[in-house]
Amino acid sequence: MSRYREDVQALLDDGWSFAGLYALDSPSRVRTVFANGAAIRVETVEVDDGVVPSIVDLVPAANWDEREAHDLRGVAFDGHEPLRPLVDHDLDLASWTVEVRGDDAYQVAVGPIHAGVIESGHFRFHVVGEKILHLDARLFYKHRGLERAAEGASLDGGARFVGRACAACAVTNGVAYAQAVEQARGLRSVPDLARARTILLELERVWSHLNDVSAVCAGTGLAAGATRFAGLTQRARRLNERLTGHRFLFGTIEVGGSALTLDGEAVAAARDELAGLGREAASGWRELLFNRSFQDRLPGVGIVRARDARRLGASGPAARASGVEQDARADSPELAYDDFAPVVPTRALGDVQARLEQRHLELVQSLELLPRLLDRPLAPCAAENGLPESDIGAARVESPRGATLCVVEREGDRLGRVHLRTGSYANWPVVAFAAAGNMLPDFPLINKSFELCYACADR
Amino acid sequence: MLTLLRDLRRLRKSIALGRPDRGRSLAVRPVDAGSCNGCEHELILASSPYTDLQRFGIGVVASPRHADLLLVTGPVTTRMREPLLTAYAAMPEPRLVVALGDCALGCNVLGRDEDLVGPVESLLPVDARIPGCPPNPDAIAAALLELLDSRPS
Repeated sequence: MSRYREDVQALLDDGWSFAGLYALDSPSRVRTVFANGAAIRVETVEVDDGVVPSIVDLVPAANWDEREAHDLRGVAFDGHEPLRPLVDHDLDLASWTVEVRGDDAYQVAVGPIHAGVIESGHFRFHVVGEKILHLDARLFYKHRGLERAAEGASLDGGARFVGRACAACAVTNGVAYAQAVEQARGLRSVPDLARARTILLELERVWSHLNDVSAVCAGTGLAAGATRFAGLTQRARRLNERLTGHRFLFGTIEVGGSALTLDGEAVAAARDELAGLGREAASGWRELLFNRSFQDRLPGVGIVRARDARRLGASGPAARASGVEQDARADSPELAYDDFAPVVPTRALGDVQARLEQRHLELVQSLELLPRLLDRPLAPCAAENGLPESDIGAARVESPRGATLCVVEREGDRLGRVHLRTGSYANWPVVAFAAAGNMLPDFPLINKSFELCYACADR
Repeated sequence: MLTLLRDLRRLRKSIALGRPDRGRSLAVRPVDAGSCNGCEHELILASSPYTDLQRFGIGVVASPRHADLLLVTGPVTTRMREPLLTAYAAMPEPRLVVALGDCALGCNVLGRDEDLVGPVESLLPVDARIPGCPPNPDAIAAALLELLDSRPS
């Protein structure tokens, strides 16, 4: 019998944290990925007669990963009881929901089609009166089989599949993929490549965080705030288009180099526009702070304490708002985040208010970071050869929603397997946890305070 | 709050969108049938002050039962097939279907055949197509207005 579980426990004891888990078809294997600072480690366990030991008791954050590996690759996890379906939708209600019994307990089904302009996903609330006892989230309505479809593609061509996973994380996912492939090919980043990618990652964060502030305003019914920040989101996307030709920065990330050209005029104009955006966002934020009826809705709602955030594997702004000072940007030597320090709010209580304030703090931080990165023109560049090649490459990049892991397994110049575990994927189980104990009408607000993507979780 | 509203008024003045001369409206029900979320993000901004789709009487409604038009994004995944058909069946007639974005049009779709059933026109009669990856808010607005104007009053 393998020492898989003992090895996992030893890594956890040594300060490594769980970063993802996925299965391979032939030979049937399960790989478990751990991160510690900038270091990434992949553990492998052979599937024996269709079964591997579960680690979900040691690492609750691996819950979705094991269920996905079961549904998509047919691996059973011994000790994961019950192993509820996650991606498999063909089973009856009782198989994928938690049974909630008692007087007056009933279920409220929401989705997959939501009332607003929101992605598709199904939420099944177990409630008494208006109080949520438990939430079963069933996503993967948007599962397109992108990881399987990418198998056999060229290493460069695989970027298209990863890019298509999600528009809101297109740069993050692209950079994670590119870095994973570059690592497997033995390529080393150069300063201009690091700078180009960091600029694009932060531009993605700026529009995304502006959108998230707008979404929380919409979640409380504050139309003026939602409209104000939607206007700023539009300005940020127009800036993206002026700089790169695409409002969501599609097609800007490639493997082995960067084609992005920004002349002196372009970077100066970008700095001006970002300064204007910063002023307007600060003014809008001030108004939100002094809006009593808005602020009354935020504290004490959807609480995730630091201990639970760590246990459930929360990541990104959602984790930092609970006081977990982790940010993959601080451990990204391949990017231009020199001396980066994560910010956390002074009132890191892990509620809607803290998650909203976290967006604001990070927005300010990104708007300080970008002018420094845009202080000189940018020319196309290529990564350098010189490092040893390997069969597996792995990279972690901080998206606006949390750390995103991409693992690439190569078969020569072809993709054998690619696995993408995004910040949204890490945080979805945390949303379900945060909802319990709250009023059902507060759920849209709680959900928007995380503002996760469905697309890149579903793939 | 007053400052927020004042700033918005200034913004609207500076953008100076025209006043529509149409006395008609369109109730839209979006359905995400497996998009990358790009079309949704752009559709949200079609309501921002820069496009302000509502000034034409075009707005998003919560239920297909209240909708004139089903706005479908994504390559239509196997798991969204039934919800999409259910939403269409719930609409009152006459009803319109618009395919929004390249995936819904069946262009450059990525994914595994077993997980996809699309494009939209393979399942529903499509009245208009809005290409783009994703189409921007102004393109979405222009296409919906063209469709609105092409219909007999």
